[in-house]
Amino acid sequence: MSDGEGPATGTGVGSRAPVDVVLVDDHLMFRTGVRASLDARVRVVGEADDVDSAVARVRALAPPVVLLDVHLPGGNGGGGAEVIASCVDLLGSVRFLALSVSDAAEDVVAVIRAGARGYVTKAISGPDLSDAVVRVAGGDAVFSPRLAGFVLDAFGTVAGDVAVADDELDRLSAREREVMRLIARGYSYREVASELFISIKTVETHVSAVLRKLQLSSRYELTRWAAARRLL
Amino acid sequence: MTSTTGPARPGPPARLPLRRPAQGRRIAGVCAGIAAHLGLPVGVVRLVIVAASLAYGVGIVFYVFLWVTVPVGDPAAVASYERPAALSRLAPRLRAEGRPVPVTDIGIGLILLIVAGLLVAIRRGVTIQFSWVVPTLILLAGTALAWSQLDRVQRERWLSRAGGRTPVSALRLVGGMALVGIGVLLLVGQAAPVGDLLRSAVAALAVLAGAVIVLAPWWLRLVRELGDERAARAREAVRADIAAHLHDSVLQTLALIRTRADQPAEVSRMARAQERELREWLYDDRSEPGTSLAAELRGVVGEVEDGRAVAIEAVVVGDRVPDADTEALLQATREALVNAVQHGRPPVSLYLEVAPDAVEVFVRDRGDGFDLDTVPLDRFGVRESIMGRVRRRGGTASVTSHPDRGTEVHLRIPVRAAGDQAADQSRNGSA
Repeated sequence: MSDGEGPATGTGVGSRAPVDVVLVDDHLMFRTGVRASLDARVRVVGEADDVDSAVARVRALAPPVVLLDVHLPGGNGGGGAEVIASCVDLLGSVRFLALSVSDAAEDVVAVIRAGARGYVTKAISGPDLSDAVVRVAGGDAVFSPRLAGFVLDAFGTVAGDVAVADDELDRLSAREREVMRLIARGYSYREVASELFISIKTVETHVSAVLRKLQLSSRYELTRWAAARRLL
Repeated sequence: MTSTTGPARPGPPARLPLRRPAQGRRIAGVCAGIAAHLGLPVGVVRLVIVAASLAYGVGIVFYVFLWVTVPVGDPAAVASYERPAALSRLAPRLRAEGRPVPVTDIGIGLILLIVAGLLVAIRRGVTIQFSWVVPTLILLAGTALAWSQLDRVQRERWLSRAGGRTPVSALRLVGGMALVGIGVLLLVGQAAPVGDLLRSAVAALAVLAGAVIVLAPWWLRLVRELGDERAARAREAVRADIAAHLHDSVLQTLALIRTRADQPAEVSRMARAQERELREWLYDDRSEPGTSLAAELRGVVGEVEDGRAVAIEAVVVGDRVPDADTEALLQATREALVNAVQHGRPPVSLYLEVAPDAVEVFVRDRGDGFDLDTVPLDRFGVRESIMGRVRRRGGTASVTSHPDRGTEVHLRIPVRAAGDQAADQSRNGSA
């Protein structure tokens, strides 16, 4: 709240330069609120309020992180997922973090499958959101309890159905499922790490692997599950 | 047994209606529509059609027939449209991106290619019987003109371009029919004298007129069915009513909040309750009462939130039809939530997982924690209403507490598979 606005280049703690962010949401009031709640680690360099202007802004500014609302007017009606699909060639350098008021699985998973690196609800606190942005900028994935629940729902929780090889895309490994279950129970990455006696880095690796599976999997149940929610 | 989701998984019905979707189409969306309707992979359907096309063009005829008779539309959207309005979510669903195929361009290209091929053939000395080619072309043109009419999207575009009802569509139909008639006459009566042609044309018209008289009742019934479709549209109006109802309740809550702005706890409680209600209406397809454990859990969470003005983050994986065992689990969960809200610190997390053989619940708060052994034996809360309830049903219950990480209650209750459950219910009914 204190010095989140303005250039704030040298005023940060000095450990790292602030992360540049483009903020995409169709409600001015919400954009203002997010702008005010982000702390000095994050700097808003641009805003957009519909699909077309978002694509234009992201292409013009190429920010490291885009905070993207799931439901957006304009374009072909595809919302946030369409923005990501239109910027698919930038996905190596620009990372998208989905931000939504909707809890619906189909909305969330649509943007994740389009290429978003994480999903948080709009009820998230300012510091937590800044954390999430920094995390995504560092290449990690951000999973909320809700998203972890969707993953478990989509990949199934039957005990025998476990991936044995690392490169298996269609099933979660036992460890990944454990991590997802703890995140769904409201554990932070740090708490998951201490619960499973592994490092935070390892938790992040597991979460990134799950994100990749969620994006690339062609698992039959996942496809059917997604089709029932009109994703594919 | 094999699926984690219970029988009450809300979603569209098993078989989607036959429509030609705009997304994922290659030509006119016929194969994509059939695939969605039958639940087959699109590739298989396309392969079958192509294979059938090799057999004297049966596939092509079938394809064109469906192209003409099946309306454009998103099968899933149509299916959800047929759900009762009161059970469907209100927020629009995201649409998958589809690249429209330039059918007109492809059509023109094909015609040009055919003409070019004909010209080349003539140059190479092939004699083409124009007495066949010209009538066939006229026939095709007439058919295309009349059928283009049936594509609803296109017709609407025509209407909107002309600003209302115009004779254009009727003109297209009549023109198309005339062309087809001429084409057929030329084709059939290749070398017949004009007098014969005219006489047979009159005879054909008479037969047609007779057929029209016979078919008139069916035509009338079609018109009636159109009326039924209008009734379906009236259901859409019901939906709008629901939206209006929601807006009313939101407005009332806002008015209440304004008058009680000096009572923060009350305001946050009302805002949270309203948020929950709106969320449910907007983003969820609701299930029938009594068929979904997830929905009942949401109800419990709502009650606790309303009572204590604390937000609870609930995550549910899987679903099943509630029974007596899960009812006990829900009661215990409610007690655990109340405990967490009262003695712990927010945020309070709730996780429910439905497996084929058991239902598990985790309730977690971020309080200072407590030692279960120091709780006096006469305190009824944790021991009896949470742990006892679950254990009496053959389940397990445990409480873990850390001073820095809060308290977590873990409840697990074994359940029977849906089939056993139904058998059990019928046995109870007969006893």
